[in-house]
Amino acid sequence: MAAEGAIRSPRAGDRNFRFTLIAPSIFVLLLIGIFPLIYLLLVSFQGITMIDNDTSFHGLANYRRLFDDARLWESLLHTLIFTAIALPLELLLGLLMAQLFIDHLPGRQVFVALLVLPVLVAPIVSGATWSLMFDNRFGPINQIFGWITGEEMTLLWTISPELVYPAILTAEVWQWTPFMFLLLLAALSAVDKSQLEAASIDGAGYWRTFFRIVLPAIWPVMAVAILIRGLDLFRLFDVVWALTKGGPGTMTETVSIFTYVRGFQQFEISYTSAVALLIIVLLSVAILTALRRVELSR
Amino acid sequence: MADLKITGLHKYYGAVHAVRGIDLEIPAGEFTVLVGQSGCGKSTLLRTIAGLEDADEGTIEIGNEVVNDLAPRERDIAMVFQNYALYPYMTVYDNIAFGLRARKTPKQDIAGKIARAAEMLGIGHLLQRYPRQLSGGQLQRVAIGRAIVRNARLYLFDEPLSNLDAQLRDEMRGEIKRLHQELGKTMIYVTHDQIEAMTMADRIVLLRDGRIEQAGAPLELFEQPVTRYVAGFLGSPSMNFLDATLVAADGGLGVRLADGTVLPLPPARHAALAGYRDRPVTFGVRPDHIGRASPGDTRPGLARYSAVIELLQPTGSRTYGTFRVGSAEVVAELKAHDVSQVNERVELVIDMNRAIVIDPDSEKVL
Repeated sequence: MAAEGAIRSPRAGDRNFRFTLIAPSIFVLLLIGIFPLIYLLLVSFQGITMIDNDTSFHGLANYRRLFDDARLWESLLHTLIFTAIALPLELLLGLLMAQLFIDHLPGRQVFVALLVLPVLVAPIVSGATWSLMFDNRFGPINQIFGWITGEEMTLLWTISPELVYPAILTAEVWQWTPFMFLLLLAALSAVDKSQLEAASIDGAGYWRTFFRIVLPAIWPVMAVAILIRGLDLFRLFDVVWALTKGGPGTMTETVSIFTYVRGFQQFEISYTSAVALLIIVLLSVAILTALRRVELSR
Repeated sequence: MADLKITGLHKYYGAVHAVRGIDLEIPAGEFTVLVGQSGCGKSTLLRTIAGLEDADEGTIEIGNEVVNDLAPRERDIAMVFQNYALYPYMTVYDNIAFGLRARKTPKQDIAGKIARAAEMLGIGHLLQRYPRQLSGGQLQRVAIGRAIVRNARLYLFDEPLSNLDAQLRDEMRGEIKRLHQELGKTMIYVTHDQIEAMTMADRIVLLRDGRIEQAGAPLELFEQPVTRYVAGFLGSPSMNFLDATLVAADGGLGVRLADGTVLPLPPARHAALAGYRDRPVTFGVRPDHIGRASPGDTRPGLARYSAVIELLQPTGSRTYGTFRVGSAEVVAELKAHDVSQVNERVELVIDMNRAIVIDPDSEKVL
């Protein structure tokens, strides 16, 4: 605009004409982007439930309820636990696999393609598949454990409290490690070979080379991968829903499941709106902090 | 004592036989240049010495120790790479210190060594900068600094100047040679540039198709090439090669050129060439051994040739004049004002003492 203005200051009519041209698309963007958010905010100050279409102003009642809702904070905790375990695991396994595949082994392409397959499966489908895998009567997991131990196994993977987390994490890590693997493989392939050679001549061992040369080189990609997976894990739903529906009790209920149950099973519309807004705020803060951390916003 | 001894070295890349039986001994303190066209195996040879590639056959000894099975870091070598290979996420100081730290050098020693190396290379003011903030010449100095700061037995340079512009290259050439004189270390330098090879080397190893074509002092290779390839590779502009026949002339031997002119060879050459009489040969003469004839110049071994200069390329102090012998073009390096215009017939002299005669089948110099 500044450069344009230096040549010729646009007349008011010109400017209006421009705005008229982009107005429809701005309108559509506002409609699908901002309106739901504003409406959500609006609804969160009302008292709509399945049986009561109460649109009167309730003030901060729903928000006050958030703080007393132990189930909500527990679901947040569950989400954090899933994230805290699955994310480093996926990262580490992905990195190890990428290191393994960085050398040009015969059949590399075929194996990479096969390894990436889990990412292509819809999460809800993979969840359903894993729930069959974990089935206590005819699931292959129990059978395999049975062969190993030599006695019949009837572990209740999706029911017994000490097994549900391992089960869900297994399915989750199985599905998303390849994603990490793929991104990190690409990043590792881009590391300048001659730098590694220079380091080997300089006398650096494996770990020094990895931490001083490889890691800084792949860090930008790694940070994005961590960010994407972190966000995905925060919204974890499908696999848990398919395996345990948040059970036993609310033991594996993630914040997404909690919101879904509250909103679309119990139809506490206004309260759920408040929950959704809370999540939006939390995620926004988390993302902004993370972006600043990795200096991607430069 | 040899710092490096290579015996029967072979290296394959799949079906490509990159290094085909190299035997080489490099005395301590010598500056050796491996030179050859791209694909001749010179870089492969250097990388095999460094341990970045495995030798498929043969042995490599560094300081009387066979190092075939040693990792690069156990070979006591330092290397400068063509693309510098500096670590982009470290300052210049950390780049240079990297090898010292990896080898657990005490901190105060590191600072002192880096200060000395930085002073030698004139990069003291760059130590806190990052590689991306440096120019090509500065990057090269840092890369060299990273190598010399380590007290290695063997210093390897893999075409370190090829990414620099011509002027900087001249400057760095002198600087590396000066470094070699100051440090007195054994250095092996790979290049495809014959001028770099000639100016820097104590000894040139000219490689061709994975084999050593000829090895020796620069002037030895220049003046007594053993093959046509060596003769043509060294020198700029390169040597003229003409199809000729060895014939009897004036009671001795001479070469008859395509246009029928017979150039008599000096008597000293007769013995070696006697067996080739009446056989086709390749006659080789460097441009600077062809000059304008001056009256009264009766030095022995000068052959006269009358030619029409078709093209003149003045370079300032010298002028390259091109003429034809039969269908072949010949370049003569004339004095600036020897010939003033093209298509002029001039009398030239060819210094037959310096000319060579090559067997066209084996391409060996006779």
